[in-house]
Amino acid sequence: MILTGPEIERAVSLRALTISPFSTRQLNPNSYNYRLSPIIRVSEERSFDARATHSWSTIQIPPKGLVLEPRRLYLGCTVETIGSLCYVPSLIGRSSLGRLGMFLQISADLGNLGKPHCWTLEITVVQRLRIYPGMVVGQVAFWCPEGSVMPYAGRYHDFSHAMPSLRGDQYHAIEPSEDL
Amino acid sequence: MILTGPAISEEYRRGRIWIEPFDIQHVQPNSYDFTLGSSLLVYTETVLDSARANPFELIEMNGDGFLLQPDRIYLGHTVEVMGSDTFVPIIRGRSSTARLGLFVHVTADLIDLGSRNQWTLQLHAVQPLRIYPGMRIGQVTFWAVRGDRKFYEGKYQGSEGPCASKAYMDHASVTR
Repeated sequence: MILTGPEIERAVSLRALTISPFSTRQLNPNSYNYRLSPIIRVSEERSFDARATHSWSTIQIPPKGLVLEPRRLYLGCTVETIGSLCYVPSLIGRSSLGRLGMFLQISADLGNLGKPHCWTLEITVVQRLRIYPGMVVGQVAFWCPEGSVMPYAGRYHDFSHAMPSLRGDQYHAIEPSEDL
Repeated sequence: MILTGPAISEEYRRGRIWIEPFDIQHVQPNSYDFTLGSSLLVYTETVLDSARANPFELIEMNGDGFLLQPDRIYLGHTVEVMGSDTFVPIIRGRSSTARLGLFVHVTADLIDLGSRNQWTLQLHAVQPLRIYPGMRIGQVTFWAVRGDRKFYEGKYQGSEGPCASKAYMDHASVTR
């Protein structure tokens, strides 16, 4: 089952889930609107390697906005600290931005039960699109799980900034035979 | 929990799911197939701005359909007026259209409780793809909720045809 807006507010007040800062103005009938942190990351590399680590530059989105380019991957971050050991989060973009051709969370919209943190957002655009710091960029919904809880033991929840893929590091550190 | 096809039909009869027109042939094991309407919206400028109203034009498709290009975002719409005040709708492409590289939404698959309109589809083709009005283009699923319900009263309520982004309204109300 998916939590309604009033139930999300209740769960926050009971500390069963964390959204911080929290404002009832950002509540929807069955989700919560999160905002885009002013820091966004992009790699200069045009070709990625799933077994490599890549260099990423950090861009401060100016108040007048930043134009995102098609065929590039950007990593953004939520302003809000979000997470729960009781409800499974799923993060998507706003319909208003989807209507402008912005993909937000490419393929992986399902979060894990675990420690609250600022979530990394995978962003790409179909057409050039100007975005702004602090804008309402997406929505998080929460789902009731069934079964005993096994919190996320991976590394991404340790970061509260836009975090590139750790896949290359993992490959070298702990998965030497994967994919072979 | 997700509703089965028979449960969708039953909740439609009970008036707790709205799908107009409703066709029993479109009921799937755990979803309902919706149909592409004849209007498409395309922005006339190549650089879009999330803080402004972006100019657009409407395209009316006939039986020859329309060839989508990969470098543009197109807004389509469902023939059906859909929604629910009891179950949360989530939309998906059909696997048959996805196998041709068509996105029917690029990010926002989750519909608010109480939202009732022809849904705007965020169409994006990976390769050039010709689409046709009346084709079954996607499916809607319905999910049970927990908690007290409040209903959508937002800026797209009651829309007909493809509805351009109103992101600039969010920009004015929250960012400032």
